[in-house]
Amino acid sequence: MASTLPVAPRAETPVPGRDAQASVPAPASRPVRPRRGRPDWRKRAEITLLAGPALVVFVFFVIVPVLMAAYYGFFRWQGFGPPTEFVGLQNYLTIFQDSTFRDAVGHNMLIVVASLALQGPLAILFALLLNQRIRGRSLIRVLIFVPYVISEVVVGTGWSLMLQDVGAVNDLLGKLGLEWLQQSWIADPAIALGTLMVIITWKYIGFAVILMLAGLQSIPDELSEAAAIDGASFWQIQRHITLPLLGPTIRIWAFLSIIGSLQLFDLVNIVWGQFVSATAGTSTMATYMYLNGHMAGSYGYGNAVAVVLFVISLIIALIYQRFVLRRDTAGAITGGKEKRR
Amino acid sequence: MSARKAATAAVAMIGLVALAGCAGGGGSADGDVSMTFWHNSTTGDGKAYWADAVEAFEAENEGVSIEVQSIQNEDMDGRLQTAVNSGDMPDIFMARGGGKLAAVVNAGAVKDLSDLISDDVRTDYGDAVFSAFTIDGATYGLPVSVLPGGIFYSQDLFADAGVTETPATMDELVDTVGALESTGVEPIALGAMDAWPAAHWYYFFALRECGQDVMESIASTLDFSDPCWLAAGEDLAAFADEDPYNTGFLTTSAQQGAGSSAGLLANHQAAMELMGGWNVGVIASLTPDEEPLADLGWFPFPSVEGGDGAPTAMMGGVDGYGCSKDSPSACEDFLNFIASPEWQERYAVSWNAIPASASAQTAVTDPALQPLIEAYNDADYVVVWLDTLLGQNIGNALNTAVVELLSGNGTPESIVETVETAATRG
Repeated sequence: MASTLPVAPRAETPVPGRDAQASVPAPASRPVRPRRGRPDWRKRAEITLLAGPALVVFVFFVIVPVLMAAYYGFFRWQGFGPPTEFVGLQNYLTIFQDSTFRDAVGHNMLIVVASLALQGPLAILFALLLNQRIRGRSLIRVLIFVPYVISEVVVGTGWSLMLQDVGAVNDLLGKLGLEWLQQSWIADPAIALGTLMVIITWKYIGFAVILMLAGLQSIPDELSEAAAIDGASFWQIQRHITLPLLGPTIRIWAFLSIIGSLQLFDLVNIVWGQFVSATAGTSTMATYMYLNGHMAGSYGYGNAVAVVLFVISLIIALIYQRFVLRRDTAGAITGGKEKRR
Repeated sequence: MSARKAATAAVAMIGLVALAGCAGGGGSADGDVSMTFWHNSTTGDGKAYWADAVEAFEAENEGVSIEVQSIQNEDMDGRLQTAVNSGDMPDIFMARGGGKLAAVVNAGAVKDLSDLISDDVRTDYGDAVFSAFTIDGATYGLPVSVLPGGIFYSQDLFADAGVTETPATMDELVDTVGALESTGVEPIALGAMDAWPAAHWYYFFALRECGQDVMESIASTLDFSDPCWLAAGEDLAAFADEDPYNTGFLTTSAQQGAGSSAGLLANHQAAMELMGGWNVGVIASLTPDEEPLADLGWFPFPSVEGGDGAPTAMMGGVDGYGCSKDSPSACEDFLNFIASPEWQERYAVSWNAIPASASAQTAVTDPALQPLIEAYNDADYVVVWLDTLLGQNIGNALNTAVVELLSGNGTPESIVETVETAATRG
């Protein structure tokens, strides 16, 4: 990345650190050796001290639980005492034979696609508008971000109260003379998933807008000014300058959105409760795991579901990183390759 | 390398020591005994009852102290499971018998109380009520309350609809639903969001369709091939076709707020609800003035034509308490203490519920509970709620399958199938 900057041609002027290191030690190499060893040792100690606690926490609270889940997934286990009844891959067979689980995966995929399709364009549009100098801009920015700050429990409870058959939304529609629009918003399987998407969009659009706004701020004004001087219209500027430069932000947001959609649990569990989300057509892999693992007390089976959920998320995340995020993460994740280039 | 290893090991040790610090138990010094006690009453008179009972017991027993923790009912199973596994089980814990208690007993975590419950208590209680806590001939819990089920109804709304006799057969129930519908109230409140209230309808149809021997052996055989299980589903499907339940029952909860099924009854929005004996107290907490509903009545689940079950058979739950395996002997002392007539009578008043001790049942004053006590004492036999009886895994699957049926997504056959596949998971 750095090599493309216009600084490169001026490399002859002494860049302090690197040049000094390369030239100075050469004549007096002997006294340097012991010194080189010591900083190395100190560096290692420093790394151990600073990264050690985080590493221990990561290993014990992420890696070990994942491995334990994989282990428990091979047992029929009620959760009391150590698991003893080894059943091999039986749990996994049951998972994939269960049409309720396949439905849940389908709902997850729909939520992934619909989140991207609904929130992406809307967020970019809001961000473009809020990047202009308009009256009350700060207030609107705050208002759009507020739902994201409110806890999921409050949001879920609030929406579920309003969307009941005899709730505020249907009441309002009735008072407006729009009886034909009244629906069984959360109980009717034909529209419940749509209702969920409205709630998700309302809840999470603020986060997307803030990300996009931050992305927009990092685009220098000079570019659009130059384009304007060349006669580009407002929409041409957005289409050909802003959007391409916003690309990295959009790709990162989409990544976060996909992961969030795959692991969606709290909103569904609060609006639909623990038991009826599958019936209403809004169950996700996570609510399936909670109901059939935790609520049912079948912990071995629940762990197997957790492993499937983990693998599905991991595969999607890796594919996305490999093919979509490659340009953006080139420096950070694929550091080795960058050096060779 | 070795330096790094040493540092890593040091950090790990610190972490382990910190973790071990959390798990320290409450040891007893110089003969003093301390116990932990979990119950499920988080508010009001019920919570106050336990606080009073513990205080009185501590005053009577020098050197014994009990630490009380009230835990949200829905969290109880999960918390207990974690506590059992971490070796930090409460000394006195709440139990409802059936398959759920059996799972904890099989893990070797529960004290056998067969010879520890005092003879006085046995005499006061009678034998029948202990059956829910009896596993392989041994008693693992002391009941404090019996909670038989049936249909709670509003006498005023019945009168408004011109219904003078409570329905005794399914046909009469359907007629009553029709009469109530024409007056504009919801005939039956149903909290299907919590699944178990909806499943109650299936349980009771099964109670009427299946004979006593089928019901009493189902927990051990898990054999649902008897045609009565399918017939119960067909009965329920036919009844649901009459559209008797409140609008939006699928997303109605059972006990939270005025919009819940109990709340609909408490506010005269709905006329009937099929529930257990605790409902009197729950409805009382949801009326506008938080007083017991004055016109609340009760009648047993109607008879079903051609069923093998006795028409007087009842289904219901038993709330009780058990002692952990390693609890001090003060634990069974405490259980015997709260089983005394005095504290059982106070239980009846505080909880608006039927005490387990037969001799304390005269203390029940609530008029809605009187017919319930009569029916309970006249019942040919009493079966524990099917989900409790069958254990968490199958009970859970059965409950959700009934919701599927009521929502129009399932069939009577799918209830039986779902229950059978659930048996392969847990």
